[in-house]
Amino acid sequence: MSRRIIVEPRGLAPWWLKLLIPVASVIAALALGALFLMMTGNDWVEVYKKMADTAFGSGRGFAETLVSATPLILTGVAAAIAFKMLVWNIGGEGQLMFGAIAAAGVGIWLGGGTPPIIAITAVVLAGAIGGAFWASLSAVPKVYLGTNEIITTLMLNFIALNLMQYLVLGSFSPWRDPEATQFPQGRPIIDNARIPEFFHRLDWGLFIAIFVAVLAWFVISKTRSGFEYRIVGDSFNTARYAGIRVPKKILGTFLLSGASAGLAGSILVAGILGKMDPRSLDLGLGFTGIIVAALARLNPIAIIPVAILMGALNNAGPALQSIGVPTATVKILQGAILIFAVAGEFLIGNRFRRPRESVEEKPEPAKEASAA
Amino acid sequence: MNDSVLMLTIMAAIGLGTPIVFATVGEILAERSGILNLGVQGMMLFGAVVGFWATFQTGSLWLGVFLAVVAGAAISVIHAFNSVTLRVSQIVSGLALTIFGTGVAIFIGRAGASPLVGRPSREIFEPIFPQSLADIPLVGPLIFGHDALVYLSWVIVAIASYYLFHTRPGLTVRAVGEDPASAEAAGINVSRVRYIHVMLGGALAGLGGAYFSLALVPSWQDNPIGSAGWIAIALVILASWRPWRALWVAYLFGAAGRVNFTFQTLEINIPSNLLAMLPFLLAIVAMLILASGKRARLLGAPEALGVPYFREER
Repeated sequence: MSRRIIVEPRGLAPWWLKLLIPVASVIAALALGALFLMMTGNDWVEVYKKMADTAFGSGRGFAETLVSATPLILTGVAAAIAFKMLVWNIGGEGQLMFGAIAAAGVGIWLGGGTPPIIAITAVVLAGAIGGAFWASLSAVPKVYLGTNEIITTLMLNFIALNLMQYLVLGSFSPWRDPEATQFPQGRPIIDNARIPEFFHRLDWGLFIAIFVAVLAWFVISKTRSGFEYRIVGDSFNTARYAGIRVPKKILGTFLLSGASAGLAGSILVAGILGKMDPRSLDLGLGFTGIIVAALARLNPIAIIPVAILMGALNNAGPALQSIGVPTATVKILQGAILIFAVAGEFLIGNRFRRPRESVEEKPEPAKEASAA
Repeated sequence: MNDSVLMLTIMAAIGLGTPIVFATVGEILAERSGILNLGVQGMMLFGAVVGFWATFQTGSLWLGVFLAVVAGAAISVIHAFNSVTLRVSQIVSGLALTIFGTGVAIFIGRAGASPLVGRPSREIFEPIFPQSLADIPLVGPLIFGHDALVYLSWVIVAIASYYLFHTRPGLTVRAVGEDPASAEAAGINVSRVRYIHVMLGGALAGLGGAYFSLALVPSWQDNPIGSAGWIAIALVILASWRPWRALWVAYLFGAAGRVNFTFQTLEINIPSNLLAMLPFLLAIVAMLILASGKRARLLGAPEALGVPYFREER
């Protein structure tokens, strides 16, 4: 018998490992980033200090971090609930943008005298519906025709991006501000539809996002519907035998995922932006949401702190220019975090042990695919 | 005749299509072995910046191209390790590669006291045949009007197609992509085949990136490639995993990229954003019609594409 180590899939990983892997991923990414900064002649201690200082060093800095984190909580939830059911919705970008288009459309169309509570609700919900609609363009073909959603959601990102740019930069649509003749801009939504701020640019949208994350957690872990959802996520066949209508569940999850991403768009429009600003909505928030979901290991509650961490990175990026370091440092860190986090899933999904001498080893059958 | 709108459009289609040909053929090789790599955009950008940097430092175009190829292959190992050795989600790993590669490329372009960004390339690829040959009506530009990398792309397409469909190693690749367990039983090292083809995909993506920074857009910008990497992923499906078809669909999309300009010269005004949607819209429509459910198999989609392969311990 050889003395090599056997790697085999395991059912449940210990809780400390599930916590350790994401933390270790962040540390490993920071170490890699430090190496990269050193190789390019930068003082990595200074860079990280600057980042921490910008993101967490002051009340206003932390408020900006939370502003950046708000849409990431929602795109993170969008990715997490879909991925958990092996629905590969990587169209958070497009769903966010189309949500923003819908939200801004309603916010412009509403009469200026609409009471705030109605106006805000209408605009915010329009974003969710818009996001769900954009997701349905991938979800319906997936469920009824078997069309691969990875490619369709991806392609729809670019269609939404160009549509959004067309509405403001490429045409004189109602979304474009007729008074901005020099540089095309989005038309402001009515004042009554703006989500109020409570501290330095930070608005109540943050709590909507947190509420959505908590709601997602509650529904998944505490309700019958969530129980069925978890069964589908574990095994399509088991779910089918249990009498769960799997296609309907997949469709519903996909639409809710799109709605969450769309909500991120409408909260930006009704919150800090006040209009559909194509540049501010094209920052990769949907893809960053996938990083958030993966690092949070698809747990909606864990998404909140992870989104704050990613928001901190996004917030700190531009400040690096003042010390002569490219903003892209942040992107390297985020990419590296995701690489380590996804690699770490291997350690959570498998265990190692030495082969026993006499016993014939029969590993359990492998799982078909592992989430994130 | 050689200055007609049609001819100019065809030439531009070949120029704009060439980097996408490289990347699409690369992704076809990876997917034929069963590995979906959504990192094409990141690998292309990394290749683009490495190629540009090397040529900028040395003045040698071919050294730039060589290092871009090496860079693309090197960064693709991250994805190969994640998806073949660790068998974690190929989708998330590929996205991670795109984010990481994009970040590294922008960083390299902007790092240091005298960054690359905004600088013109020291050398760019020019047509290799004398102008007199390219002046021959009709066939002149089509056959003699290109730079060396365009001819290289034709050679690569021909080799890739022959390799996949007419050689034994090519058959092996397809077997691994269809049914890795049977391939393994037949004595094939599945992991090795997948590593090699993910890296070939990375190498070709790097080459495609370098074509942008050393031929098409001869000065460094944060993102000289637009969304070419994503288009390549769409084109793999439109090309139904076949290299020759990849050449034609890539030229078609090159033409679509040029159509805007062509329409303007014909005084037809279509907003550029709506035209930019076209490749993505076509890809979706093609997927709905051609590649839904079981039909994807008939089209040529590898059966085991994207599914991690667990070899039983022996």
